[in-house]
Amino acid sequence: MREKATTLYLGPQHPGITGNMMVRLKVEGDTIVKATTEVGYLHRAFEKLQEKRNWLQSFTLMCRFCVPETDPMEESYARAVEAIEGREVPERAKYIRVMVLELARLASFMLWYGGQNGSLGLYTMGQWSVGDRNYILDLFEELTGGRIYHMYIWPGGVRRDLPKGFEQKVLKTMDYLEKRLDNFDDLMFNNAIFKKRTQGVGIVDKETAIEHGVVGAVLRGCGIKSDIRIDDPYEVYDKLDFEVPTAEGGDIWARALVRRQEARQSIRIVRQVIADMPGGPVYNKIPNPQKWTVPKGDAYVRTESVRGEIGLYVASDGGNKPRRVHLRGAAYVHGITLLEDVLKGANIADVSAIMNSLGTCPPEIER
Amino acid sequence: MEKIKSNLIEAIKGTYPDAREQDHEGNRLDFYVKKQCVPSILNYIKGEGYIHLSHIAFVDWIEEGEFELIYIVWSPKDKIKIFIRARVDRENPLMPNIESIWRQANTYQREAREMYGIQFEGFEAPNEFVLEDWNEIPPMRRDFDTQAYAEETFFHRPGREDAMDVREAIIERSREEIPDFAKKYSR
Repeated sequence: MREKATTLYLGPQHPGITGNMMVRLKVEGDTIVKATTEVGYLHRAFEKLQEKRNWLQSFTLMCRFCVPETDPMEESYARAVEAIEGREVPERAKYIRVMVLELARLASFMLWYGGQNGSLGLYTMGQWSVGDRNYILDLFEELTGGRIYHMYIWPGGVRRDLPKGFEQKVLKTMDYLEKRLDNFDDLMFNNAIFKKRTQGVGIVDKETAIEHGVVGAVLRGCGIKSDIRIDDPYEVYDKLDFEVPTAEGGDIWARALVRRQEARQSIRIVRQVIADMPGGPVYNKIPNPQKWTVPKGDAYVRTESVRGEIGLYVASDGGNKPRRVHLRGAAYVHGITLLEDVLKGANIADVSAIMNSLGTCPPEIER
Repeated sequence: MEKIKSNLIEAIKGTYPDAREQDHEGNRLDFYVKKQCVPSILNYIKGEGYIHLSHIAFVDWIEEGEFELIYIVWSPKDKIKIFIRARVDRENPLMPNIESIWRQANTYQREAREMYGIQFEGFEAPNEFVLEDWNEIPPMRRDFDTQAYAEETFFHRPGREDAMDVREAIIERSREEIPDFAKKYSR
């Protein structure tokens, strides 16, 4: 017997949704026939505001685009402005930037561990991983003064040098987190519930991935080796030794396996960066912010975040304000057209697991 | 890389004599093209291995009366990013639809239509993307005045009128003198 179709509104306030957005589901029984993403609950018009602010004031808005991982956006903005201006960055600042980016990735992985398991009702993981994330936030607080929003990586370098003894603290935290990741494996990857709920669910195959312009761990979960840090290296990633994990299958399980390996690779990168870090200055002085003009031109830079590739287009008309700042986060491609396709035929109970796994971050979509 | 770039320039300029290239340092290559050539050029370079549409950026060049659309395409094989830049008249912004080439262009085109009022030929996506019941001019256009809109649409909370100018309010409340250099920042 064919079930009667009804419409179900998931979000904008719902514990399983990854932010302020809504998915309108047309369901028959508990199977989704059609899904429509509705955004607009979080539009803050940052890009419009940036056109009215000078180059340095705009920079303070960059980190606020997406909360779980704020540094890739700052770094993108800094690098884009440097590319337009041709401003040099000291070598030590580049190493510090990579360290901050990888710490931010780790913090974001910790949130993902919690979110992915929480979406399946496995709440212990969230308590463990979000607790451990605080150790990384403590490091950020010591380094930058802020736990979530850092405003640390600015055009020309980073704002200040590492505090005394900071490297040792980072290494100690890395040792601790490495041990904890093994505990996470026991709780997550050896868990029959997690396996059963994720294997064969939310499948993105290779063809779909390329057609939709999928990026990051979702692409690597389809067996395609692609990482901006290797393909289009920035800062000092070309001097570092790390691997790009891939997995076959394209389901939530495969993406989880990829992220599990990536968290370990991030620890490996942080250790290398600290071992290789040269001395010297950490920033090149920028002009008086009130009088700072950037020559006419544009730049497009890409940074690898946990959710995938973040692209930032910055155009200057030669004035003291950006002409246009246009961010494209991973969620911009994952959260709308891809999510709508993947949800077709899925079970209602799997929606939030799929959203988490695709790295949907609504603030990135509407900005 | 230089060889790949020059081959591409030759191939594209062979088919589209109007196209103008600009080679940048590193792995970036720009093409300035006519808007009607955009779909066919994108189709061509997609066949050449530029399979990843990384971004479509929109810029309002109000002084020149034009919008610029920049299609940024990346090749995982050649490791080159190509910028296909097209301009469209501000008064009648009609662009070709490239949704059939890349599915995710749908989202970009919805945003461009809503935020800049750029229309796409035969584009049938739901009208509202981020905004709801919007009756003003598209808000990301340069001539949309955010401050005037905010002042017309919203009102100050009663009892907070004196907070309109923070410095004046401080002077009144604390009878404190504001130094000369700070006065010019006062409204």
